[in-house]
Amino acid sequence: MKAFAYIDASNTQEALSVLGTERGKTLPLAGGMDILGLMKDYVLQPDQLVNVKNLDSTISNSAAGMSLGAAVRLIDIIEHTDVARLYPALVYAALEVGTPQIRNAATLGGNINQRPRCWYFRNEEFDCLKKGGAECYAVNGENQYHAIFGEGPCHIVHPSALAVPIMALGGRFRVSGPSGEREVVADDFFVMPDRNMWAENILEPNELLTHVILPAQQNQRNASYEVRFKQSHDWPLCLASVALTMEGSNVKLARVVMGAVAPVPWRSRSAEEVLVGQPVTEELAARAAEAALGDATPMSQNAYKIQIARTTVRRAILKAAGMLTS
Amino acid sequence: MGDKHQVPEVKSPATIEPGAVYSWPEAPILIGSRVKRVDGPDKVQGKAKYSYDVNRPGMLYGRILRSPYAHARIVSIDFSAAKRAPGVRATLAILEPGQRAMYQGDEVAALAATTEELAADALRLVRVKYEVLPHLATIAQAMDPIAPPIFEGGNVRRGNAEEEGDLEAGFAAAAHTVEQSYSTQVETHQSLETHGCVCEWEDGKLTAWASTQAVHGTREGFAKALEIPQSDVRVITQYMGGGFGSKFGPDVQGITCAKLAKQADAAVKLMLDRKEEQLAVGNRPSAFANIKAGVTADGALTAFDAETWGTGGAGRGAGFPLPYIYQFPNRRRVHADVYTNAGPQRAMRAPGHPQGCFITELLMDELADQIQMDPVEFRLKNLPPKAPNAMWADYFPKAAQKFGWSKRHSTGDSTPGPIKTGFGCAANRWGGGGRGSQARCEIHPDGGVVIRCGTQDIGTGIRTIVQMITAETLGIPFEAVIPEIGDSVYPFSGGSGGSTTSPSVSPAIRITAEKARAEFADRLASELGVDATDVVVRDGRVLIGEDTSKTMSWKEACRRLGTEPVSVDGKWERGLSSSGSSGVQLAEVEVDIETGVTKVKRITIVQDCGLVLDPLTAESQVYGGVIMGIGFALYENRIMDRNTGQMVNPNMEWYLLPGMSDVPEIDITVVNQPERGVVGLGEPPTIATAAAIGNAVANATGVRVRSLPITPDKVLESLDQLF
Repeated sequence: MKAFAYIDASNTQEALSVLGTERGKTLPLAGGMDILGLMKDYVLQPDQLVNVKNLDSTISNSAAGMSLGAAVRLIDIIEHTDVARLYPALVYAALEVGTPQIRNAATLGGNINQRPRCWYFRNEEFDCLKKGGAECYAVNGENQYHAIFGEGPCHIVHPSALAVPIMALGGRFRVSGPSGEREVVADDFFVMPDRNMWAENILEPNELLTHVILPAQQNQRNASYEVRFKQSHDWPLCLASVALTMEGSNVKLARVVMGAVAPVPWRSRSAEEVLVGQPVTEELAARAAEAALGDATPMSQNAYKIQIARTTVRRAILKAAGMLTS
Repeated sequence: MGDKHQVPEVKSPATIEPGAVYSWPEAPILIGSRVKRVDGPDKVQGKAKYSYDVNRPGMLYGRILRSPYAHARIVSIDFSAAKRAPGVRATLAILEPGQRAMYQGDEVAALAATTEELAADALRLVRVKYEVLPHLATIAQAMDPIAPPIFEGGNVRRGNAEEEGDLEAGFAAAAHTVEQSYSTQVETHQSLETHGCVCEWEDGKLTAWASTQAVHGTREGFAKALEIPQSDVRVITQYMGGGFGSKFGPDVQGITCAKLAKQADAAVKLMLDRKEEQLAVGNRPSAFANIKAGVTADGALTAFDAETWGTGGAGRGAGFPLPYIYQFPNRRRVHADVYTNAGPQRAMRAPGHPQGCFITELLMDELADQIQMDPVEFRLKNLPPKAPNAMWADYFPKAAQKFGWSKRHSTGDSTPGPIKTGFGCAANRWGGGGRGSQARCEIHPDGGVVIRCGTQDIGTGIRTIVQMITAETLGIPFEAVIPEIGDSVYPFSGGSGGSTTSPSVSPAIRITAEKARAEFADRLASELGVDATDVVVRDGRVLIGEDTSKTMSWKEACRRLGTEPVSVDGKWERGLSSSGSSGVQLAEVEVDIETGVTKVKRITIVQDCGLVLDPLTAESQVYGGVIMGIGFALYENRIMDRNTGQMVNPNMEWYLLPGMSDVPEIDITVVNQPERGVVGLGEPPTIATAAAIGNAVANATGVRVRSLPITPDKVLESLDQLF
């Protein structure tokens, strides 16, 4: 690991004052779950780390919705009764992350901003597109865990579990930078590699994610469902989050988002269209799931993820509707 | 280097030879009881110091620069920038210009610096010019007739056919045949403590605190490589975080560590990191088989014709036993070793057996399905004759009864819903005999008892066994014995591999302690003027004949020895151990046919190992073996990038290992065979697990995944072919 300077910022403003505009030189450090691994593997070699554990770490609920500070830990989300009551989709996703040790130290902001787990990105030997190279090694290489959506040129899957329910819940991200604060809806926060190869979201090097805002909901049911291979400490093969706003027994509004299938959390408007105006049934959920995967473009080794994602979406819809039996 | 120090499967007689001088006690007090591991509390409290924990005054940290390429020739190595880096105290070329690195991770150069971080940073300043050469990343590439010839003598080495009986007649007698292809993956050892050591020189003598399965073998390895007498080398391994067959010698990193320490005139710690561990210090070779086999309508095996191959990486073989256990009267097998530019294989817990077992046992279930016969019944019909080390005919029914095998449905769970349940079974065998261990026992005038043996506890509990047997033999409490092991200054004992430790060490300890007991009795008797046969030690009290007034404490009796302790040497002799074990495993799995995800629900195992010394350590071996078997069945896989020959998952993130939530209920029966003496148990319990799981997956889903690991993509693909 390259030697680095450590700067302890006591608040957002102090942290912002040391972040520069050059990407990768000064990086925020919260729980350290991801960045230390990246540095030990020489994938990132920052000159400075800024401690951002002192950013807002509170969860507050109001009529307008819920605000969660970026420094909130995953365990705080899991144990918060209001979050559990209103946003079970988020709690489930947080519970499925890593191990108890990771959930005790990892932060909300860190989970959203963590870098991809693609093995070509993480292994120093591969000078891949994301590291300024000329080639995505996954295309003709080992792509069993890579994206089944998006046309490249980089085929990572977005690593954040929490980003998926946040997008399904219509969440917003509050961003602080040198020119003040702005709020960005989750749909617009994450960016595909053809827009920016160097980052997975719109944050500039001199900006910080400070809060996640989940809008207040009425008559909404939400849930997440994850399929992974190992039961202990593994990444999902697919995670789906579904939010259904109900009108009587019919779906009035639906948001369906898949994780681990694309370079960003992948919202499926075609699945949502299938659901709107209908009562949820096994058959409808299956049709929506079919629609969600209809335009998947698998790589040479990952077509199996389509079936897994289809199952995941169907079960997430049924779970949100309170109809998942097994 | 691994090969030279490997401990092969020992096949000595399966029963104790008659006429032995020494024997195990007929009514033991400690042996056979559940004695807790003596070093358990120290381990869980972090007090036990592993090689990784050893720190010496002024110690430096060594790191090895490894080839990033699958195959490359060294053009030049330039240390100038690295030598100027902060903290660097020694540098060393491992390969010279002109020599080739044969796989990613092959050792090229090394250095030592004052901290581990400085060493890692400085390593990146070593400028190596490589001439990148053509490589063989996969076994398919290596077997391609137009592949570049990379290995001297060819990339593929074909062996001679092993043949028996009349194959044509065998197939003619078959009512049904099965013709299928099977495969198992390359698996890495994943010792939690990585390979490496701390080396320190003093007056030309080397002390190495090494993570090794063989303190004496490693001493020999150091002495040879460094061209110094063995008497000038001391190897210490007090605690060790697993080796599984991959840690028998000093290895390149050990020799490098010693050379760096000499050059820097300071102690050097050189422990590998997880990535190096995955790339360069061994793996279980892959196995592939195309098999045609025949069976009669009433379930007798008739013929077996197999073409097999596998890769042990760069220049290493990939042999495995086939067919496994079951008797095919007419058979032929042709095997080829295929070399690839990947890390070379080393012995891995039951070398060859898990591969041969998986392939044979899957085939057995396919044959049983052809004739609609229950898999257990089918196996019982085709076993070799029953023998002390071949007890499957007893163990299958016993395990089936405990497991509830009678509830097994025929292939394919027909219950509605996506979760399908299935049962599977498999059998295993292993050698596991012993030989050669030596020991010394001292009884001190203050009552202290020390037993020394140059074996090493690789995590299996031999320290506890050594202490237990000594206490049992002397008639004193367990706590009264100090076991000293894990040091090459102690009497010779062989490497801990091939399930040889217990059958080698236990007899040596029994015999040595018995000799010490006899000398103690002689000397005390002559001191007291009684017959030596009148001196009996029981529960730490020394009885003198029938006269209870003469009874004295152990301590008092030892005081009567005067100043000269009892000090005797002993060694392994025939009569207290034998060789060969058998076992069976039954598995229940759940497969989600909508996701392809398999979960193991239960494993039932019936396994023998001769005389069970300590049921707790025996069961502990079985738990570990079964869990490793689950990793082999479902998760573990060395994945090489097909284009570059670089491993894409050299970590514990994408090289999947079973965690606690992936471990099922494990029901263990360790069958005690006291009449056979001690037989090793290290390898056997890991052999049959994957095969039983593989058969259970087929029983659940109705489709057979013939390739390990059984990942969701393979399950879904097989199901697609079904519907």
